[in-house]
Amino acid sequence: MPTYKKITYAEAINQGMHQAMELSEDVIVMGQLIDYKPGVFGTTVGLIEKFGKKRVRDFPVAESLMTSAGIGAAVAGQRVILVHIRIDFMMYSLDAVVNWLSLWRFKSNNESNVPLVIRAIVGRGWGQGPQHSKSFHSWFAHLPGIRVAMPATAFDAKGLLLESIFGEDPSIIIEHRALFNLKDQVPKEAYRVRYGKAVIRKEGKDVTMVAIGCSVIDALKAAKNLENEGISVEVIDPRTLTPLDRDTISKSVLKTKRLVVVDPGWHSFGASSEIITSISEKNIHKMKANPIRITLPDSHTPMSVSLEKKYYIKQENIVLAVKKLINHKE
Amino acid sequence: MKLINHENILKIGKYKKISLANINKKLAIKLYTFMLKLRLCEEAIEKEYHPADEMRCPVHFCSGEEAVPASLNSILKSGDYLFSHHRSHGYYLAKKAPMTKLFAELYGKKTGANSGLAGSQDISYAKNNFFSGAILAGAASIALGTAISFEMKRKNNKVVVTGFGEAATDQGIFWESLNYASLKKLPIIFVCENNNYSTFSPQSKRVGGASIAERAKLFGVKSKSIFGNDVCLVYRELHKAILNARKGKGPFLLETFTYRYSGHVGPLSDEFVGYRSKKEISFWKKNCPIVLFEEILLKKKYLVKNDIKNIKTKINHEINESFSYAKKSDFPIINSLEDLNLNKETPVADKILKDMENVNFDSDQKVILPKGY
Repeated sequence: MPTYKKITYAEAINQGMHQAMELSEDVIVMGQLIDYKPGVFGTTVGLIEKFGKKRVRDFPVAESLMTSAGIGAAVAGQRVILVHIRIDFMMYSLDAVVNWLSLWRFKSNNESNVPLVIRAIVGRGWGQGPQHSKSFHSWFAHLPGIRVAMPATAFDAKGLLLESIFGEDPSIIIEHRALFNLKDQVPKEAYRVRYGKAVIRKEGKDVTMVAIGCSVIDALKAAKNLENEGISVEVIDPRTLTPLDRDTISKSVLKTKRLVVVDPGWHSFGASSEIITSISEKNIHKMKANPIRITLPDSHTPMSVSLEKKYYIKQENIVLAVKKLINHKE
Repeated sequence: MKLINHENILKIGKYKKISLANINKKLAIKLYTFMLKLRLCEEAIEKEYHPADEMRCPVHFCSGEEAVPASLNSILKSGDYLFSHHRSHGYYLAKKAPMTKLFAELYGKKTGANSGLAGSQDISYAKNNFFSGAILAGAASIALGTAISFEMKRKNNKVVVTGFGEAATDQGIFWESLNYASLKKLPIIFVCENNNYSTFSPQSKRVGGASIAERAKLFGVKSKSIFGNDVCLVYRELHKAILNARKGKGPFLLETFTYRYSGHVGPLSDEFVGYRSKKEISFWKKNCPIVLFEEILLKKKYLVKNDIKNIKTKINHEINESFSYAKKSDFPIINSLEDLNLNKETPVADKILKDMENVNFDSDQKVILPKGY
């Protein structure tokens, strides 16, 4: 029997990192400040003491090199975890990600592959303003050759991390700091959460709500409120954007006939657009209302607490949007 | 050593310092044969490229730049890794990847090194640890990562070599790589083929300050600038640097001054642009790496004219075979391109990870945003 323990999202990642490094000597970690006490919000704590500085490499502030170096190490047989304490800094490595990492397997005709994991942390906290608050999941999901994960719970954070490390393709895991203190039941064992397999977090019959990453908990809270008002919402957490489990979403939409997507990214050209499009392409004539997306505006994040409140997606927005959708006359 | 740059190198006139020190006859013939093979190979592709138009990919020819690949061909072991820039054919052959599959790749055929998916500028031959790519310093920075892996498994004594043009050093990531190689004393050799031109733009227009080799020293990486068309010199320097790297003595940067005879890309001349002088071209033709080497080999009687004829015949035969192999091969048939981008198999994860049940997540808990740091 697996032994579950209630731990935080950050602790679950830390546990996954430790286990991966114990399971295989090929696993190495690179990132800035990963070997200091705070351990990147607790996620890399204890690694340096246990695995030493050759496997736990505090890296210079050279993010572009870090990703390239990760590719080179992975090609030579390591399983590499890169930790970006702020996803914004990772943007220095766009060349490595776009021009090398994503097409490595393809251009080698499957002869060479890159088992590399990028942990990219979205630093949303108090008033981060336009920096450290961006989430680039849609950008990365657009690229062929890369898997993108958005774990919303501690269970998924650990399972997807291990699956990424011991998989054969490059993976980008987007972690929202707002999730780091959330607790969940997490098995002690080394387990996997597979890519391309969504989970139905709450069953319902009136509306299908696909919620991504840090929006999952907001969606669940909103669904509970709506339930009290007699609206039954099915909440689906896709867990990974590429591959995307369109089947699970599609099946749900065929049942509920309505679709809402909650995406903690900018409004236009995003993951929400892709989900709505790919589901509507096949099912629009069976749907009772036009699908809607609840997203951030097409704007950078304001710092001021009053503006920030307006900017982010709140439960109330979700509740209102769903009510509007339900009351929509055909 | 006196400062070398592309301006003052022209003052040499004819290079006369070539010497066979530490190069025995067997090695000399191997180096010579490789250089000649590479040259004839490039010339044959250039000739066949138009008007047949059957090789439909950008090709960056490397005629004139044979000395580095020839040396690496004789020094590197199969377990060593080689990462090259887009002018890749010499490096590909240096790592003993088959010529037939190079040609088939250019023709976009199924039997190509990458089944026609990569083409000339991104060709790889993973079996022999050879990789290339067209975004200049990118390959150098990836090579650095392989050196990290080798540093962890020191007992293997493997080295990584990355070949690049001088324009790659215009990019910041190149210096990030040099810094880290120095910091960790990694087993990596940086070989710069300084042919002066980034497409049409000469180095003097793009770079202020010290030469590449001098700057490398400031990063803590030992380095040297040499006349790159003297294959004996190139071989000796690379041999020493690679041996030292194998012993754990850290990285080295070799800057070899050389020249490409062909246009930047494709078989057609780009002289109409007017970016290089006749005087310059004639200097470099006079100091062709193959001509310089051939002269001393004949003089020292390592070879006689008839040997050269025989070597050429053999090479031409291999080239003809490679053309007919490429032309006869089928085009690839791929039903699902998507499957080439992501693998569905996860053999390692299947072995060590269990599928487990997801217990219901408590969504009633409060989300507490972190404070502002």
